[in-house]
Amino acid sequence: MTEIESFTTTLQQYSPAIRTIRDPDELRNYAVDGVLPRFAIIPETVEQVSQAVALANQQGLTLITRGGGSRLNLGGIPERFDASLETTKLTRLLEHEAPDLTCHVEAGITLAELQAKLATKGQWLALDPPDAQQATIGGILSSNASGPKRLRYGTARDMVIGLRVVQASGEIARSGGRVVKNVAGYDLNKLYIGSLGTLGIIVEANFKLQPFPTNERTLILTFSNAEDAMATVIALLGSLLTPTAIELIDSNAASDMTDFFGLTLPTNGYTLAVNFEGSTSSIDRQIDETRLLARKNDALLSDDLLGKAQDEFWNIVREHTQGTITCKAVVLVSKMANYLETIKQICQKHEIEAAIVAHAGNGILYIELRPVDATFRLVEAIKELRLHAQEARGSMVVERCPFDLKRRINVWGEPDQNFFLMQRIKQQFDSKGTFVKGRFVGGL
Amino acid sequence: MSIAELPSTPTTPPLFERISASKKTEVVRELSTLLGARYVLHIPYDLMLYEYDASIDRSTPDIVVLPASTEEVAAIVKIASRNNIPVVPRGAGTGLSGGAIPIYGGIMIVFARMNRILEIDYTNLRAVVQPGLVNLHLSNALNPQGFYYVPDPSSQRSCTIGGNVGENAGGPHTLLYGVTTNHVLGVEIVTPEGDIVQIGGWTYDTPGYDLTGLLIGSEGTLCIVTKIIVRIVHLAEAVKTMVAVFDTMDDASNTVSEIIATGVIPAAIEMMDQMILQAVEADTHAGYPMDAAAVLLMETEGLREVVAEQTDKIVNICNKHQARAVRIAVNETERQLFWSGRKNAFGAVGRISPEFYVQDGVVPRTRLPYVLRRIGEICDGYGLRVGNVFHAGDGNLHPLILFDSQIPGEVERVRKAGHDILAVCAEVGGTITGEHGVGIEKQEEMALIFSEVDLRVMQQVREAWNPHQLFNPGKLFPMPGRCADMKQL
Repeated sequence: MTEIESFTTTLQQYSPAIRTIRDPDELRNYAVDGVLPRFAIIPETVEQVSQAVALANQQGLTLITRGGGSRLNLGGIPERFDASLETTKLTRLLEHEAPDLTCHVEAGITLAELQAKLATKGQWLALDPPDAQQATIGGILSSNASGPKRLRYGTARDMVIGLRVVQASGEIARSGGRVVKNVAGYDLNKLYIGSLGTLGIIVEANFKLQPFPTNERTLILTFSNAEDAMATVIALLGSLLTPTAIELIDSNAASDMTDFFGLTLPTNGYTLAVNFEGSTSSIDRQIDETRLLARKNDALLSDDLLGKAQDEFWNIVREHTQGTITCKAVVLVSKMANYLETIKQICQKHEIEAAIVAHAGNGILYIELRPVDATFRLVEAIKELRLHAQEARGSMVVERCPFDLKRRINVWGEPDQNFFLMQRIKQQFDSKGTFVKGRFVGGL
Repeated sequence: MSIAELPSTPTTPPLFERISASKKTEVVRELSTLLGARYVLHIPYDLMLYEYDASIDRSTPDIVVLPASTEEVAAIVKIASRNNIPVVPRGAGTGLSGGAIPIYGGIMIVFARMNRILEIDYTNLRAVVQPGLVNLHLSNALNPQGFYYVPDPSSQRSCTIGGNVGENAGGPHTLLYGVTTNHVLGVEIVTPEGDIVQIGGWTYDTPGYDLTGLLIGSEGTLCIVTKIIVRIVHLAEAVKTMVAVFDTMDDASNTVSEIIATGVIPAAIEMMDQMILQAVEADTHAGYPMDAAAVLLMETEGLREVVAEQTDKIVNICNKHQARAVRIAVNETERQLFWSGRKNAFGAVGRISPEFYVQDGVVPRTRLPYVLRRIGEICDGYGLRVGNVFHAGDGNLHPLILFDSQIPGEVERVRKAGHDILAVCAEVGGTITGEHGVGIEKQEEMALIFSEVDLRVMQQVREAWNPHQLFNPGKLFPMPGRCADMKQL
């Protein structure tokens, strides 16, 4: 009997209902960076996840957890990959305590489905990463995905109040709880968020929720250069105004959006989209004051978006953060204009092109690079882009790229001096390497 | 010591033995060479000041050191590690759970000399501070430029930011803006090996595990923080502070629930019950009615328009729930007066009782009426008086149980009542501590909300970084038994 047969037979003894896939054609859907697993497991309950992991651990098999698969490309090339564990059957909203603005949900539910359920009570989870239709809560948390509205609402770490996580041993451990304020014990929620499944499998989450804003409007401003656009951003951030999102779009990204989505954005210079939420009177005033600030910084024209056009605009902006090759660079806001200029120079030097969408208020840039087959030029450009981001007190991660490029670069960059502390944690949580190694920072 | 613990707990050998007199002399000499003799305290008279915090526990350190730099902290830790002497960091000693109590003596690192603001960057909205900086001093430095640092524990006039990081401190204004962890982006730490390590940084989303998030609230059991990078924010344009007076606790609690449920999230909602009101009024003369059952102190801030709308909504909800009166502070002086009543509440209770014991449970906000009733019943059952003053908007309770340790058996009853209250919080899906930390005080109560597996997984982190418990030993997790010298309250 092979390793896999023994695994699946034993697993089915524990949980007869559990589904496993061994058909090579079907398994193609579960490939990560071109590496095919030997089989896939699709548990229907948290207990089944626990049993599958316990068994894998005992038998020395390795797992990659998979939600909707929208961000599986993130990370280095997996070392040994025996099985894919898909969580998409864990879709129950276990509790929505609307009067308490909290919910408790299984991690395989998609963000879109969760939002639809919360919306029936006028609430939402204030996370707006791309691919809401496909991305699951578990995937969003483990990859720490976020979107433009993080400027106001923060990221997963600011909203998660509790998690249930299947450990490498198969045991299920809870961290945090279901109340909005809690300092009992170590804050392991923070550790699991963004750990890319290297420490455990998130199977349930408790969140703090937000009420829907009464109104929402987006002001679109254009500038001939990055300095003016960023001077406006910095003035906004240091003002009394409370924008929900400030997105900067360069001309290449703007023309992509115009070409593919039929959106009309000026395709030279820089576009700044500033979103405000709240009551009509507070939005009106904030839009007026933002226009004034922008005019002082030589904004060329301004327009505003409402309703459906606005929703569509933000959807397109979000989706544009995931090209075939997308780098996420983070720099100090004060260094962004400078960094944008550096990107231009690096691209010219290596004869490549960049299209940029940035959460300008947070100093986060999504840089799409092309042509996608210019592997060697890209390798050099990525090195330089990273170096300059680090000089601006930041970092750069290649979030999406083809296998051929990936095997020539370190998508996360070299680990920091504090890496040994991360290694010790991985060692404690998963000493046998049940959760596939090679994908996270430093190969964790 | 855990309030629930019976005095007759079987004893187990302590994690560390007290250091011998000769060893102490040797280590004091070594530390004096490093820091200068005046920054190494070791005679009983000097040490007494450092044997307590704001909790009920006490234990004297063997040596207190006052380093002036990260390098000195690292060197101290290396000496401690080489001699296997435990190290406990201490900010201002305002902690309420015994986090800074050196259970096994050893070396206490006091950050009084590392109290500087190293850098303020108004463009990127960051400040870098040393751990000994008093919380309020940061906001005082930022205010003239129109900025401030958000977390505002009631002890902010004396507590330090290093201590705030250790405990993940909250405060009244964290309802809207979050607690310490939501405002810290990076820290510099010293590990038990004496290595200096940078964690997180100035920008968001540093690749790798969120070690900053993990360390905040780790109560000094993983590392010693020597530098902190915080977010600063613009002061609000407008602030309105209101006081609503209620004739029943239920009306007040239901008002809180409805405000939250309507989606109005004010900057703060604080509740004080009758006993607290009477104590506060006698002390501060803030104008609170002494015959009311409960008062809500609420604050909304932001843009003028937002504040005006929120104020209207809040007043309407208060009226709907039979508020006897709703008063809005007419000016800053009155606003400060309203707040001074709240911020001095603990002190004011000292006027009506020789001692009190404060708990820190959190419950879902919808369960406030039930839990407040249960707290009353529990304390009645033990023949104890209790007052409530707390962050109602977060569901973070602070019942103050009054007692007099001179009365035989009273301490015992206080312990049991405290434990029972936390058990009720756990039973309704809440937690045992919202901002004070576990420390020594709630070690046993961790088992009320976490399973054996949950606790073991947490301890893996300590095992990874502080395996010999050189830093702050014997805290945070339930102990198998307790050493003999910690038995009496």
